Amino acid sequence: MDYIYSILTLTGITMIGVMGTYMVTGLTGQFSFGQAAFMAVGGYVSAMLTLKFGLPFPLVALVGSAAAMLTGLLVGMPTVRLRRDYISLVTFGFGEAIISVLNNSAQLTGGAEGLVGIPKRVDLPLVIVSVVCCLFLVACYKNSKYGRQCLALRTDELAARSMGIDVNRMKLVTFLFASAITGYAGVLYAFYSQYLEPGYYNWTVSAEWLIIVFVGGINSLTGAMVSAVILTSLPELLRFASAWRILIYCIIVLLIINFRPNGIFGDWEISRLWKKRKPVQGGLP
Amino acid sequence: MLQNIFFGLSLGAVYSLVAVGFALVFNILKFSNFSHGGVMSFTAYAGYLAYIWIFDGRISGSVMFLAVVLTAAVAGAITAVGIERVGFRRLRRNQAPVIYYFISSITLGILLENIITIFASSNFYSYPVFFSSKNIEILGMSFSVADFVTLLFSAAALAILLFVLYRTKLGLAVRTVSFDVNTASLMGIDADRVVMATFAMSGALGGISGVFLGMNYSLYPQLGQLVVKGFIASVIGGLGNITGAVIGALLLGIVEVALIGMVGSGWMPACVFVIMLVFLLVRPRGIAGVIVQEKA
Repeated sequence: MDYIYSILTLTGITMIGVMGTYMVTGLTGQFSFGQAAFMAVGGYVSAMLTLKFGLPFPLVALVGSAAAMLTGLLVGMPTVRLRRDYISLVTFGFGEAIISVLNNSAQLTGGAEGLVGIPKRVDLPLVIVSVVCCLFLVACYKNSKYGRQCLALRTDELAARSMGIDVNRMKLVTFLFASAITGYAGVLYAFYSQYLEPGYYNWTVSAEWLIIVFVGGINSLTGAMVSAVILTSLPELLRFASAWRILIYCIIVLLIINFRPNGIFGDWEISRLWKKRKPVQGGLP
Repeated sequence: MLQNIFFGLSLGAVYSLVAVGFALVFNILKFSNFSHGGVMSFTAYAGYLAYIWIFDGRISGSVMFLAVVLTAAVAGAITAVGIERVGFRRLRRNQAPVIYYFISSITLGILLENIITIFASSNFYSYPVFFSSKNIEILGMSFSVADFVTLLFSAAALAILLFVLYRTKLGLAVRTVSFDVNTASLMGIDADRVVMATFAMSGALGGISGVFLGMNYSLYPQLGQLVVKGFIASVIGGLGNITGAVIGALLLGIVEVALIGMVGSGWMPACVFVIMLVFLLVRPRGIAGVIVQEKA
């Protein structure tokens, strides 16, 4: 039972991380290879605040997410006005830089040996509540004015700009929102696993999240969530060796990209079941 | 001081191979090829395997070095062409948006890394020592032979590449296709063949850099992540510009060696990252100063 509990909790945390990736990739069409680094920032900041100053969990959770958002600002500011490639390159470099900082400030963060002794503050109910809240926020954002502007600029940046959308600002706002959510996932992970190590946050984690978003369908939040649940919990339950698991993911993605480019879910959302109104199409050209 | 600069140049030369291999593909398909790192680790292992299975005990010293590098270059070319065939050919046919190229290249990069992890395990291997650790004495300063060879060999590889690009018919075709694919194919250029040739060149460069990186560090599946140095170099130099990539890479090598002296190797990546951010804020076009337009 404990085993299933822990799988469910980790799946929930992954779902929150995937939401961040979905926002960056699915809404604005940018690729971040450093999403896991924001998770590291959130986790380490909150854990260290608790360990050094004994601050209560809700406060550090807030501060952790805010810290992730601030670093998001640092990374996002120079890059949103440039070609989309830059944000991928810069976030990739950011991920490496964060890991090297964590590894080298051993007095503060425990270095490569990891940060131990974090109190356990997160359990399954809290994670479920968090997932629901974050999902609600992201879904609202997607359907709001901002979300639609994002979809417009993803499809054609020039056209969106000429319709009066402030493209750079939208990209930055979405990126910040996504970093905050990912940072929160990091806080949850830190206070669930009670142990942090820099090696956990390398770019393969970020890339795995991207793959998850992509398998579910880049236009569909529902698809991203379903594929997050399936791709994280199923292999755990079936006890796949991890290297083979990722190999299989990659082959699935290659098949999808070549033969069904919109992902498994296309742009179908679960809300269509009870909504008569046809949602705005955010399809790629 | 001069020794450090020399060491930085030799490091930068390896980075420049990475950055140019990356820039070649960027030029022609207008996207950042993240599978380049996978190609690099793959070929580093291929060179090592060739050493273990074929060359060990038959040849030695610099002949062995040449044989290993050539094997890796050929392996890299084949891998890259295979990647193009599996990952990008169909996308080009469908005129898919750029983000699909992205996803495809990331996936292929991870795939290669994991194939290596599965078949070679995540152990560390080390390349044989090709050159005696003797130093050459020039003007009272000593330079290590390995650095010297690295610098020479990278320069030679780049010179061959530039010759192919600017003095041959194939190079002309590559430059034409990178200018405009559709017009080029209307003019009777076989775009598929040219793209394949570009990937082969980029893969061969990746193979050579893979061997050098494997010699400098040890051999492990994540070796390809050093491709991030190539990215940083091309951001500094200007995306998709080959001269810029070389200059950026040499600068990066020197700066890294200087930083290791000043703040230590641990903090170096963070400092390099900050330098890159500043560069993006101040001069986002890079040194070469050409703005690459988003594909409409």
